[in-house]
Amino acid sequence: MLVKRTYTRRRAGALLGAGLAALFLSGAPRAGDAPRTHKIDIQKFKFAPAALTIKAGDSVEWTNHDIAPHTATHEEGSWDTGTLSRGESAALTFETPGTYSYFCAFHPQMTGTLTVEA
Amino acid sequence: MINKKTCAAALVAFAFSMPAVAEEPMNDLEIAHTAYTAGQIDIRYAHLALALSQNEDVRAFAATMVRDHTAVNDAAGALITELNVTPQDNGLSQALVKGAGEKVEELTGLRGKAFDCAYATNELGYHQVVNQTVEGKFIPNTTVEPLKELLTDALATFKQHEKHAENMVSSLKCS
Ligand SMILES: [Cu+2]
Repeated sequence: MLVKRTYTRRRAGALLGAGLAALFLSGAPRAGDAPRTHKIDIQKFKFAPAALTIKAGDSVEWTNHDIAPHTATHEEGSWDTGTLSRGESAALTFETPGTYSYFCAFHPQMTGTLTVEA
Repeated sequence: MINKKTCAAALVAFAFSMPAVAEEPMNDLEIAHTAYTAGQIDIRYAHLALALSQNEDVRAFAATMVRDHTAVNDAAGALITELNVTPQDNGLSQALVKGAGEKVEELTGLRGKAFDCAYATNELGYHQVVNQTVEGKFIPNTTVEPLKELLTDALATFKQHEKHAENMVSSLKCS
C-alpha cells in the first residue's frame, strides 16, 4: 500500500500533536530520522507548493483556504484526501518511494506533484 | 448554428441596459441579492444537466457547479444572517431569473450531444457575463467590506468555472 490516511479534517492538528508526542515519548528514532509532516496550502485554486519532495515515511497535510471545496487526488487513483471544505485539512503518510502526480477531483486544472525519496 | 454565447451575452447586455440598472449603481443589498440569485440559477442549470446528461465530463462539471455555488451561497447566507440584513430584489435579479427560465425551457427539450453542447456553451457565456459584472460593477460598488471580500473569493471561483467551461466546450467539439 502506497499510503495510509492517518488523520483528517480539523482534528488533524490535535492528532498530529498526539502522534508526535507518542513518537517523542517512545524515544526510538534519532532526530534526523524522525518522520516529518509537510504542509501544502490550497489557495486561489493552486497547490502551494505545487511540487514537493519528501522522505518515505513522511506525511503531507493539505489545507484548503478557498471558499470552494477541493481534493488532492492521485492521478492513478491510489490515494485521495477526500473533500476538503474551507478550513479543513487532511494528512496522508507516504511509505513508498516514487513520483506521484495529483489533481483536484473537482477542478481538474489544479495539479501538483509529490516526490517520495527512499 | 446560432452562436449561443453571443445570445447569452446579448440577453444580459439587454438586461444591463434597462434604465433602472444603467442609471444608478446598485446598492450593497441589491448586489447581494443578484449575486445570490446568479448562483442559484447556475445550480438550477447544473441539476438539469445531472438529470439529462449522460456525458461523464459534463456531469462532473455540473456536480462541481452545485458544490461550489452552494459553498459560496452558504457563505453569503451566513454573512447576511451575521449582518442581519435583507437582500433587495431588483431589476437585474429579475432579468436573470427570467432569462434563466427561458434557458431552462430550451435545455429541457434537448438530449444527448445537443443538450451537452447547449449546456456547456451556456455555462461559458453565463460565467463570462456574471464574472464581468461581479468584477466590473459589483466589487467596485460594494461598500460593506465583508461582502466585498466574499465577492472577491466568489469571483476567483467563478473564473475557474469559466476556464473549466471553456475546456468543456472545446473538448465536446460542439461547433
Ligand atoms: Cu478544486
